[in-house]
Amino acid sequence: MRELIDKLIVNYPYVAALIIFVIGAMTVLTRSNVFKKLLGINIMESAIFIMFVASGNIRGGSAPILNGNNSEALFINPLPSALMLTGIVVSVSVSAFALALILRLYRSYGTTDLRRIALMGNEVADK
Amino acid sequence: MREMITTNLPVFIIIAPLFVSFILPTLSKRIKLVENLVISVEILGIALAVYLVSIILAQRGMPLIYQMGGWSAPWGIELKAGSLGAFFALAIAIVGLPVALFSKGNLSVEVGAEGRTARYYTLYLLLIGALTGMALTNDLFNVYVLVEVATLSCVGLVSSQKRPQAAKAAFRYLILATIGSAFVLGGIGFIYIITGHLNMGFASQKLSDIWQNNPRVVWTAFSFMLVGFGVKSAVFPLHIWLPDAHSVAPAPASAVLSGLAVKGYLFCLLKVLYFVFGPSLMQVYSVHRILVLAGMIAIVAGSILALAQSELKRRLAFSTVAQVGYIILGFGLVNTKGLAGSLFYLLSHAVIKSALFLSAGAIVNVTGKKHIKDLAGIGKKMPVTMAAFTISSLGLVGIPLLSGFIGKWNLLLGSLETENLLPVIVIIAGSVFCAAYLFPVIRIAYFEPAPDNDLKDPGLPQKIALILLSIMIIVLGTVPGSVLELANRAAAELLAVL
Amino acid sequence: MFNLILALFSGAAGSLTVGLIPESKNRLRKLTVLIFAVSSALFSWMLAIDVFAGENIRIACELGRLTFSLEPDPMGAVFGLIASSLWVFAAVYSFGYMEKKKNKRTYFAFLLLSLTMTLGVAFSGNLVVLYLFYELLTFSTYPLVIHERSSEAVKAGRKYILYSLIGAGAILFATVITYSWSGNLEFVGEPVFKGLLRPGLNGLLLLFIAGFGVKAAVIPLHRWLPAAMVAPTPVSALLHAVAVVYSGVFGILRVVYSVFGHEIVGQLSISNILPWIAAFTILAGIIIATRQDVLKRRLAYQTISHLSYILLGAFTLKSWGLAGAVFHMISYSTLKVALFFCAGIISEKTGETNISRMQGVGRSLPKTMFAFSAAIMGMIGMLPLNTFWGKYYLMKGSVEAGKWPLALVLIGSGIINAICFIPVIVNAFRGEREKVSVERGESSLLMLAPTLVLIIISLIIGLVPGLIWPGVEAVVKGFY
Repeated sequence: MRELIDKLIVNYPYVAALIIFVIGAMTVLTRSNVFKKLLGINIMESAIFIMFVASGNIRGGSAPILNGNNSEALFINPLPSALMLTGIVVSVSVSAFALALILRLYRSYGTTDLRRIALMGNEVADK
Repeated sequence: MREMITTNLPVFIIIAPLFVSFILPTLSKRIKLVENLVISVEILGIALAVYLVSIILAQRGMPLIYQMGGWSAPWGIELKAGSLGAFFALAIAIVGLPVALFSKGNLSVEVGAEGRTARYYTLYLLLIGALTGMALTNDLFNVYVLVEVATLSCVGLVSSQKRPQAAKAAFRYLILATIGSAFVLGGIGFIYIITGHLNMGFASQKLSDIWQNNPRVVWTAFSFMLVGFGVKSAVFPLHIWLPDAHSVAPAPASAVLSGLAVKGYLFCLLKVLYFVFGPSLMQVYSVHRILVLAGMIAIVAGSILALAQSELKRRLAFSTVAQVGYIILGFGLVNTKGLAGSLFYLLSHAVIKSALFLSAGAIVNVTGKKHIKDLAGIGKKMPVTMAAFTISSLGLVGIPLLSGFIGKWNLLLGSLETENLLPVIVIIAGSVFCAAYLFPVIRIAYFEPAPDNDLKDPGLPQKIALILLSIMIIVLGTVPGSVLELANRAAAELLAVL
Repeated sequence: MFNLILALFSGAAGSLTVGLIPESKNRLRKLTVLIFAVSSALFSWMLAIDVFAGENIRIACELGRLTFSLEPDPMGAVFGLIASSLWVFAAVYSFGYMEKKKNKRTYFAFLLLSLTMTLGVAFSGNLVVLYLFYELLTFSTYPLVIHERSSEAVKAGRKYILYSLIGAGAILFATVITYSWSGNLEFVGEPVFKGLLRPGLNGLLLLFIAGFGVKAAVIPLHRWLPAAMVAPTPVSALLHAVAVVYSGVFGILRVVYSVFGHEIVGQLSISNILPWIAAFTILAGIIIATRQDVLKRRLAYQTISHLSYILLGAFTLKSWGLAGAVFHMISYSTLKVALFFCAGIISEKTGETNISRMQGVGRSLPKTMFAFSAAIMGMIGMLPLNTFWGKYYLMKGSVEAGKWPLALVLIGSGIINAICFIPVIVNAFRGEREKVSVERGESSLLMLAPTLVLIIISLIIGLVPGLIWPGVEAVVKGFY
């Protein structure tokens, strides 16, 4: 038990990522408001980003900037951070796209609640 | 010159559609030019894919490797066109052309204004480019990026009609697909954390050495990948987005979504499972059993749900759910015959389902009727369309001499090799179900009195597209020779028994 | 080789041609149908003569690691002869029967198409081709079953296609297992499983029999057959008394003799049960028939019973049994088609389909009822008709196999046949019919002539069984 707690404390970024991921997933799945769903998606993705970035971190490491004086310095791995930059770009474009769709939904149905949109069903379409 | 083409082939085949897709929005006023451009890119795509396949076959499965920017493997991004990649690139090309042809001159009716048409084509080519990229890439993060490109273009295609339902279905699709992407990215993260590699080859080597140190992380990575790609490729019960999305999209879009996009994600799953984790790890974690089970459930459940649908396009959409089951089942067989059968089935279903969706779309466009019971006598009014529908239905059911049979036959042999009769029974029962949900359409279309209104087959390009697909179904069924050979090599490549 | 191709594809070519002829051109269509049906029969005869002479005719191509081969052996040739020759009679009869019906184009197109599919089953050289044509036969006869387009017909059609597809599924299942166990699917030459006795063969044989048994209407897989009687009478006569149901019977013969081989089957424990399954169907079918009032349904149940005569002969695994099976296959088909033709004439001319209301029909339609009575004599197994010989050989085979109770079953079935149908004849000649409204004309001649010719052929074969004996002998010699 002690070991487990120790492990959890040492790996706190991963634990945090897990908690955030679950929060995000719950939000997406349980909320019917489209904005909240979108936020949930973003929260989920942030969790993954945290996990990735944390995996590149080394305690006591410095930014991987080449410095002639100190060639023995411990660098953190820059690759995951770089990858997550791409990930963030993707996530932003998904959000933008989703917002555009939300706009269309609101214009045709007059609500942002998916449950009510589902209830309205095909009457709107036939207009 | 020839050598230059050969070395750059893997990247060229991906870049060509992407490059053209970015030009298209600037040409939104000149819609004829856009259409012709798209069709020529697709023809170029077929030429390149066939060339690639011929090289791979001539080299007896030796892959073509292209290093992006000249950085070699563990650091740079690698494209690897082996038998498997070439096979899928071929599938994309031969389905892509008829679908593009079908859209010609017909699309502005479905998506509204002409400006939207150009944007539609942009998304279409982006999707084709991304799928080809998935076929050839050998880098995990690249897989993620391409999956995202493909997802966004798919959602764009779904929402391309102006109807409110299109926006609704697209939004649901977007949310679920993004959840899938998050899982995929998480899975990639776990693999990266324990191996330190994103290149599939290197990650796989490292993984086979060290997986015993972190068995639970490997297990988590497996499950993240399965769920992530499972959502995207609509493996039952993660299919809930598919019927809406595929039935509200314009006809050519639903064809490419059902025919190719779903296959792209399945293909990525296949690559991750076999190239990164490897068959032996799959067996350690019993992932192959999960796949076979999921496949069987999908076949039965998808078929029953398809039977319950009264709208033609929704029935076809649920049929896709069932057919994905066959492919997933084949992935889990872990033997050459099963995998080759599964890959051939993937190709055959891509062609058949495109033909089905295109002809269904043509019927819906011309008659304005969505329900199967309203299609009485369509067979006499629209002979070409219904003939294509009939041939592809027979192909999907698995009549010998049509492409579906070859895939099913190999899948059956593969299942028998695992000494388990249940998948065999499910596969055959699936065919019976398939006949049960497709033949009523044919019966109503041909054997019920036709209405007196004036209906006609769609225009010439649409007819050519349908005829082309029907011919492919027959050719793949009668002379599968080199395509089946390629599928066999791809299966051998997956099992690393070259 | 050319005979084979021409015999096989005459039907399909004719079907295409008929499809192009407009609905209104009746004479042209009749001529086309006749030409193609006769050409198919003619080339089948030429092919059969070559095959009986011991010539080996084979067309094969390799497609995707599977061989597709057409290779008629004597048994296939016999089935091909039966089907293609009777097709000509059915076509002529259809000209009369369909005179005032709608959708003639679809009807004749699919009638000819199913000829090709039936011959495909007969001439197939391996299990995959057999499966292919068996499946296609279902699809090409389906439009004929739902020809009336009534809701009853659609329902019957659904039943038919569902039963057949599930049967075909079982066959595919069994075929795949056969392929993975033996790596060989070819019929000609040694049986596939010769010398490959292994556990599981019992189940495999049962699977095959269940699959083909659907079309052979083995009880309890028979329910589609009575339902399919909503089809026009020539279809019931040709397809549901001969071609389609024979394709199932033929499939079982193929499996027992060409895939397993009678030696292997003889070593399986299931071989002791199989003849009893057939015997059960024989008795149960004819007993159910006595309770039917609609004439066509009564005939359908009689078909179910008589198909199992053939199966019984095959399951005795003795040469006399097989000879009886083949003989019965030939002779039964001529008589049963004639019976259905009579039923069709009665229903067309007087409008009566129920036996209880056929009093006095014999007086208004004497020739038809004469043919009907003669055919019934044959069904019972009386001497001047050909079925007697088939039944005689079947009994000989049963005794040879040491299963004499089977011979009793055959005799019992003959008696029940008599109980079942003699009253129909008596009834037809006894009662008074108030109003005799029988129209005459070309159509009735077109319907009556084929019926009478078939009865005469049966009589000739019955009197001189040596006429068809060489064919039967060739089949038996092929396997023993």
